[in-house]
Amino acid sequence: MDLVVVGLSHKTAPIEIRERIAFPEEHLPTALQRLLTESELSEGMIVSTCNRVEILAHGKNSHRKIVESVKNFLYSYHSLSPPFLEDYLYIHRRNEAINHLFRVASSLDSMVVGEPQILSQVKKAYSMACLTGSVGRQLNDLIPRAFFVAKKVRTSTRIGAAAVSISSVAIELARKIFGDLTDKSIFLIGAGKMSTLAAKSLLESGIQQIYVTNRTAERSRQMAAEFSGQAVPFEDLKSHLIHTDIALVSTGADSFILTRADVEGITKKRKYRPLFIIDISVPRNVDPEVNQLENVFVYDVDDLQSVINANVQQRQQEAVLAEEIVVAEVSNYVKLTGTRSLGPVASALRTRIETMCLEELNTRRHQFTEEEFEQVEKLLKKAAHKIAHPLITNLRDPGESPRQQLYKVELFKKIFQLEEES
Amino acid sequence: MSTLLFNAAFGFYLVGLVHSVAAFVSKKDLLYKIAFASVGVGFFLHSSFIIYRGVELAHLPLTDLKEALAFFAWTVSLCFVISHLRYRIKPLGLFLLPLVTVLMLGTIFIKSSPVPEILSGSWFYLHTVCLFLAYGMFFMTFVGSWLYLFQERELKGKKPKTFYYWLPSLVLLDDLFYKFLIAGFSFMTLGLLAGVIWAEQDWVQGWQDDPKVIAALVTWAIYLLLIYLRLTAGWRGKRAAIISMAGFLSILFTFLGTRYLGGLHTFQ
Repeated sequence: MDLVVVGLSHKTAPIEIRERIAFPEEHLPTALQRLLTESELSEGMIVSTCNRVEILAHGKNSHRKIVESVKNFLYSYHSLSPPFLEDYLYIHRRNEAINHLFRVASSLDSMVVGEPQILSQVKKAYSMACLTGSVGRQLNDLIPRAFFVAKKVRTSTRIGAAAVSISSVAIELARKIFGDLTDKSIFLIGAGKMSTLAAKSLLESGIQQIYVTNRTAERSRQMAAEFSGQAVPFEDLKSHLIHTDIALVSTGADSFILTRADVEGITKKRKYRPLFIIDISVPRNVDPEVNQLENVFVYDVDDLQSVINANVQQRQQEAVLAEEIVVAEVSNYVKLTGTRSLGPVASALRTRIETMCLEELNTRRHQFTEEEFEQVEKLLKKAAHKIAHPLITNLRDPGESPRQQLYKVELFKKIFQLEEES
Repeated sequence: MSTLLFNAAFGFYLVGLVHSVAAFVSKKDLLYKIAFASVGVGFFLHSSFIIYRGVELAHLPLTDLKEALAFFAWTVSLCFVISHLRYRIKPLGLFLLPLVTVLMLGTIFIKSSPVPEILSGSWFYLHTVCLFLAYGMFFMTFVGSWLYLFQERELKGKKPKTFYYWLPSLVLLDDLFYKFLIAGFSFMTLGLLAGVIWAEQDWVQGWQDDPKVIAALVTWAIYLLLIYLRLTAGWRGKRAAIISMAGFLSILFTFLGTRYLGGLHTFQ
C-alpha cells in the first residue's frame, strides 16, 4: 500500500515536453477512468496545467509497481514510448508525496511563487476526480487537507500580496500613494499601444475620472471615446496636470515632454498633493529629475521592474515561512492518519477483556475443583473473544477515513485503559 | 488593588512592545495580532486603574508628576487603540509603545509628593485632562508625519523594503496626521482656556509670566502654524514631519523642562 506522485513541471521539463503530455480538461474523465482500469491503482487524480502535469495515485501494491503503472499509463495514453519521459519526471513517495501536494496547492512550486490560480486548478482536478469516482477514502482525506494548508499559508503569510507584473505593480504603487483609487483621476498622455494596454488594467482598479490627450486631436477624441474619458488639448498638457493624480505617459516623442521645471511650476498649485507619473515610453518622456520634487513620484519601465524584483524577493522571503507551515502540516497529517497498524491495539483490546474476565474468576478460585476451573476458564476466554470480536471488526472498518479510525482508536484506548504497545 | 491593576496594565504593555518588535523582525502576522490584543488588555486595565484610583481618592488621579506620567501614558495608548481601530497600521506599536513604556517606568521611579489644595475643582480637571489628551494626540501626529516620511522615502527610492510593505498609503498616513493634529489642537486650545479661566477665578497672580504658560503658548503657536501651512500651502511629508517634531519637543519641554525654571506650575 503506498501513495505516490509522478509528474513533471516547469522546473523539470520544457514546454515542448509538457504540452505533449498535457490532459485537456474535456478528456480528463476518460483519462481518469483509463488510469484506474489499465493499472492496479485504487485511487488517482490528474492535475494538468500549462506548467505541470502530475498524477497522484494510491494503490495496494508496492510503490515501485504503482510508479510503473502510472508511467505506463502516461506512455500509452499519449502514444509515446519509453524512455521519452524518463529525464523529466519526478517521483515522490508517501510523506514526500504529501509534502509535494501541499506545496503545489500552496503555490510554493509555481513559476511565480504565490500566484493564486494553482489552488483553483488543483481544486478543479479534485472535483473532476470526484465526479469520475477515481478518488476513495485515502485521497478524499488527503486532498481537502491540501486545500486547508494552502488557505493557511495564504492567510498567515503575505506570499501572494506583492504585485509581480508591470500593470499590477503600477496599480500597487498607486494604492501605496493614494489608497482608494475610485475618487482619483488619471491622465493618459499619448496613445501608444502600450499605453492603451496599461491604461486598461489601471482602469480595472476602479478609477472613475479619465482624461486623455494626444498630439493629434483626432486620436485624442478616439481615445476619449474608447475609455469614456475627456479629451484635453495637447497644448494644455502641463496645466492639466494640476487636476490629475496619476499620469500615464507614453508618447512617441524622442525627448522629454515633461521636465523638472514644468512640474515644479505646478506642485505649488497642486498644494503638494501627491502626483504619480508612470512613464512607460522608451525613450523616456519624463525627466527622471522630476522624481526629486516633493510628493511627485516618477516611475519608468526600469523602476517598475525594480519594484517587481523586490516583490519577487519579498514573496521568496514569505515562501520560507510558508515552507515551515507546510512541513509542520505534513507531519501533523502523518501523525493524524499515519499508516499506523491496528494490530497492537486490537491484540491489547483482546487481552484486556480476557484479563478482566479471568481476574473475576481468580478471586473465586477456591469455589471450583481443578477440572471445573479449567472449564469455566475456557468458557470465559471464549466469551471474552466474543465480546472483543465486534469491537475489533468495528475498529477495522475499511469504509472509514484514517482520521475517523484514529479517533476511534483513541476512544477505545481510553475506555479500556489500554497501554500503547510499541 | 490599584497597584495590581497598574502593574498588570504595564505588564501587558510590555508584552505588546516585545511582540511588536518581534513581529517587525520576524514578519509574522500572528505576533502583531498578539501585540495588539495585549495592548488592548493593557489599556482596559489601565483605564480600570484610573477609574478605581479616582473613586478611591474621590478625584481624578492627576495631581503629582507620578500620576501625570501615568495619565500621559494612558492618553498615548488611547490614541494607539483609536488609530489601530481606524487605520490598522501595523508598525504603529513600534513607535508608540516605547513611549508608553518609558512613561510607565517613570511613574515607578518618581516619588509621590503631597498634593497642594489648590489642585482641584472642575476647571483644573478640564485643564489637565484636555492638555494630556492633546499631548497624546500630538505625539500621534508626530509619529504619523514620520511614517509618511518613511513611506515617501520608499516610494522615491524605488527599491521597496520592509516599510513599503508594512505601511499603508501616503494619503491614509496624511489623514491620520491631519485628524490627530486637528483633534490635538482643539483639546489644547480648550485646555489652555480652562487654565486661564481657572487662574482668573482663583485670583492667581502673575500666571501670564509663568514659564510653563509661556512654553505652552509657544507649543500652541507651533501647531497653529502647522495647521495654517497645511491648509493654505498643503504642507505635508518632510516639512510637516520637521514641524511636528519641533512641536513635540516643545511639548516635552513644556511638560518636563519647565519644572526646573520655577513658577506657578512647580508644586514640590
